[in-house]
Amino acid sequence: MRHCLLTPLKITALVASVTALAGGAALVNADTPASVRVQVVDGTGLPVRDAVVELFSAKSPAGPIRFPWKMGMAQKNQQFTPGTLIVAKGSTVAFPNLDMVRHSIYSFSKPARFEIELYGRDQSRTHTFAVTGSVKLGCNIHDQMRGYIRVTDTPFAAKTDQNGYVTLSGMASGAASLTIWHPQLRGPDNESSSTITITGGPQTQKIKVELR
Amino acid sequence: MSVARALFARASAFRFDTLSARIALLYAALFALVLGLVVTLAAGGLSRFGEASAARDLAANARVFDEILAARARQMGDQADVLARDFGFREAVATGDAPTITSALSSLETRVRADTAFVVTLDGEVLAADPTGIPAPEMLRKRLEDGIKRGIIVSGTSADGGLALAAAAPIETPDLIGWLVIAQPLDRAELDRLVELAPISLEASVVEATRQPQWLRNAGADAVFERDEAERLLYHVSDLAVLQDGIAPRLVLRHRLAQSLAAYTSLKWWLILLAAGGIMLVLGLSWQVARSVTEPLKQLDEATRMIGEGREVSLAIRTGDEIGRLAQSFTQMVVAIDERERRIIHVGLHDGLTGLPNRKLFTEQLANVLVRRRAGEQVMVAYVDLDDFKMVNDTLGHPAGDSLLRLVADHLREDLPDAQIARLGGDEFAILIDAIADKASLGKIADRLQRSFDRPLAINGQHAACGASIGIAMAPGDGEDGITLMKNADLALYRAKHEGKSTYHFFEPALDEAARQRRQLELDLRAAIREGGFELNFQPLYSLAEKRLTGFEALIRWNHPTRGRVNPVEFIALAEETGLIIPIGEWVLREACHQACTWPDDVTVAVNVSPKQFAATGITATVLSALSASGLSPHRLEIEITESVFIADVDMTLGTLHSLRNLGIKIALDDFGTGYSSLSYLRSFPFDKVKIDKSFVEDLGTSSNGHAMIRAITTLANALGMETLAEGVEDVAQFEVLEREGCQNIQGYLFSRPVAANAVAGLLRDGAGYQRQLRN
Repeated sequence: MRHCLLTPLKITALVASVTALAGGAALVNADTPASVRVQVVDGTGLPVRDAVVELFSAKSPAGPIRFPWKMGMAQKNQQFTPGTLIVAKGSTVAFPNLDMVRHSIYSFSKPARFEIELYGRDQSRTHTFAVTGSVKLGCNIHDQMRGYIRVTDTPFAAKTDQNGYVTLSGMASGAASLTIWHPQLRGPDNESSSTITITGGPQTQKIKVELR
Repeated sequence: MSVARALFARASAFRFDTLSARIALLYAALFALVLGLVVTLAAGGLSRFGEASAARDLAANARVFDEILAARARQMGDQADVLARDFGFREAVATGDAPTITSALSSLETRVRADTAFVVTLDGEVLAADPTGIPAPEMLRKRLEDGIKRGIIVSGTSADGGLALAAAAPIETPDLIGWLVIAQPLDRAELDRLVELAPISLEASVVEATRQPQWLRNAGADAVFERDEAERLLYHVSDLAVLQDGIAPRLVLRHRLAQSLAAYTSLKWWLILLAAGGIMLVLGLSWQVARSVTEPLKQLDEATRMIGEGREVSLAIRTGDEIGRLAQSFTQMVVAIDERERRIIHVGLHDGLTGLPNRKLFTEQLANVLVRRRAGEQVMVAYVDLDDFKMVNDTLGHPAGDSLLRLVADHLREDLPDAQIARLGGDEFAILIDAIADKASLGKIADRLQRSFDRPLAINGQHAACGASIGIAMAPGDGEDGITLMKNADLALYRAKHEGKSTYHFFEPALDEAARQRRQLELDLRAAIREGGFELNFQPLYSLAEKRLTGFEALIRWNHPTRGRVNPVEFIALAEETGLIIPIGEWVLREACHQACTWPDDVTVAVNVSPKQFAATGITATVLSALSASGLSPHRLEIEITESVFIADVDMTLGTLHSLRNLGIKIALDDFGTGYSSLSYLRSFPFDKVKIDKSFVEDLGTSSNGHAMIRAITTLANALGMETLAEGVEDVAQFEVLEREGCQNIQGYLFSRPVAANAVAGLLRDGAGYQRQLRN
């Protein structure tokens, strides 16, 4: 239901971003490109790492969304690597097993419920994520393995570094919504949303979230 | 009360005055005191130790119980974990597949016998087969999120809305999406099951704060404390971890102290029993010890008492200790006392001089012999009196007299071995001969007795002879009992003495009669003295030279109230024997002096003085008193004595005679010629007058020897300057012979019989008898 409500906004943002990319140079040249530097901190003020920050602007840029990282979630040293992966909706993610042991992958998350049987070293499986949302991955035989795939439909998405910072840029000015997701975030679907006005030009936003 | 009184009565009946009881009780009491202290201390220590160890045990058990609870919770947690990790279950929870979840929970409840199993999701939803009684998720979530996995919750499923032990397991897919919680009510049954795992018996309960009584709320956690309710109880309280907000349940462990003390209680009883046994043992032993000390003492006590009663005693104490020595000394003392007693008895029953039994023993012997006397046997009792013992004593001295008695005793022992001989005192002996056959000649036996006394005796080298008079009484003829026999023997002796010396006389009943008469006479005599039953007669003394009556001899006459006039020979002898002669003699002196006063101045009065009277002190005073009372001139008084006055004490007699003579009183020797050794007396004292005994006068008519005797006496008297007087002159022939032979004075019937006092004047005036013829 919530997604339905947000749809017009997302579309708007998408349009905006496409506009920015297409007639890019003039606009870019005309204005200082917009960028938002977001720091996510927890209740105690400590930076939160690997939090996914998504910004939905009024005008959504057109065209497929590409992120500058691999659409892959490897299993290495009995860990999902990277632990948190942001993919665009409809992306197919590869799960290469780089370990000596076999792993399986399961997800009970609503956006993508699937289960990949155990498979061995140097094998890879793929899964296509057609619905936005967060997918929590586990390995049935290694409880401690946790992987998170954030399926998003905005190009302005990134995860915070070790200092809790993330910089998003290229979005259109105007009102936008900022969504923070983190597996331990206290809130519905582990998300926290806020509105932000993109002024154009660099701006900083510090968002405090509550973690469990 | 009655029991106590009975006990008291018994206790007081127990003899506390015995040494052994006191010693035994003292030791037992001491031991009981010490033992009592020990038992009390030990019992107290045991109790304290028991309590302390029970408290320690309870504390340890509380820890154990905590662990049991924790283990139970852990076990539940593990069981929950199994399901929480189950892939299908996780999937069901993750996908919100309620039917699957509830069926899985039901299955879990059954499998692990949990009361309740439910899921709390991260979003605060509760999934359960039956959600009733499950606490609100918001009450649980905080603690669950804090990672607390086990604790107490309020479980509404139990009837009382009681407490339940709960364990939670996280459900991760792989992130935490909720918790699987299973709960087990901590009801009585469960707690009891858990309690059974504890090593000591406990009662456990889990009580919510709101339901706790005040004392329990105030009690510090993890401390053991004691509480007296119906019984002594130990409590341990500890706070329990909770999985739910707003409750503070506590685990209360209760332990009955009596149970853990029970073992010590039985130990205490054993101790008391042991102590009681010890006391009894000590009582018994100390009683034994005390008895070993006091038993000999008791024997000594008993022995002393028996000796006091004069019984024979032998002590059986042979120990070598102090008591043994005491007993030994005691026995020696008893022996010494016995010995001394025997000696005293011997002295008491024997004569010291001769060693013969005395009168007392003789009496007993006689009584014994009489009791043992068989029919047809006779017993002879002989009383013996030595005839001339006094003379031996006087002439040879007392040591000689003693020797004589010893010799006589020896002779008797030698000659009469079968007789029992006793010395009754002085010169009196008694002889008892028993078992004399009926036909035996008593005379021969008596002769044998007599011969024994006639044996010659040698005293200090001097030859002495000592005849004896013997009186004999025979049993049964003369009496059956000792007293009668002895009295009769005495009577016979009396007769024997009177019949002449050195003879024996058997008792005759007549003797007894004579004795009876003598006793009556004595009574009468005393009455006569008291009542003045005597009078004096006077017999004139005719002087051949002056041819007149120059004096009178006073002669006593007794006019007995019933018998009339009693012969002086009869009653004077009795008076001499009984000592009555003293008052009688005194009366005679007074009366004679009194009468003589009425006579002319040239007429004297002659008074007989008996040897007894003479021996008694105070004859001189009596004479003086009589003279002064009458006013008679002393030279008119003439005292006539017999030779026997010298037998008592010659020196004293002489002294008395001289003092009388010095007063001017004349002394005449009466009955001259009948005594022992007349001439020696004549030499020892210058008598004024010698009275020639009438036996010489009687002879004058019949034999010519009489003439010679008279002449010899008169010649001797003249030579010594003494007058002579002849008594008992009855006829003229005698008178003429006496006159011819130089006798100076004549007394006798030829002149006058003794006359009453009032006739004296007549005789003096008219002349007496033959005097009148001489005048003519």
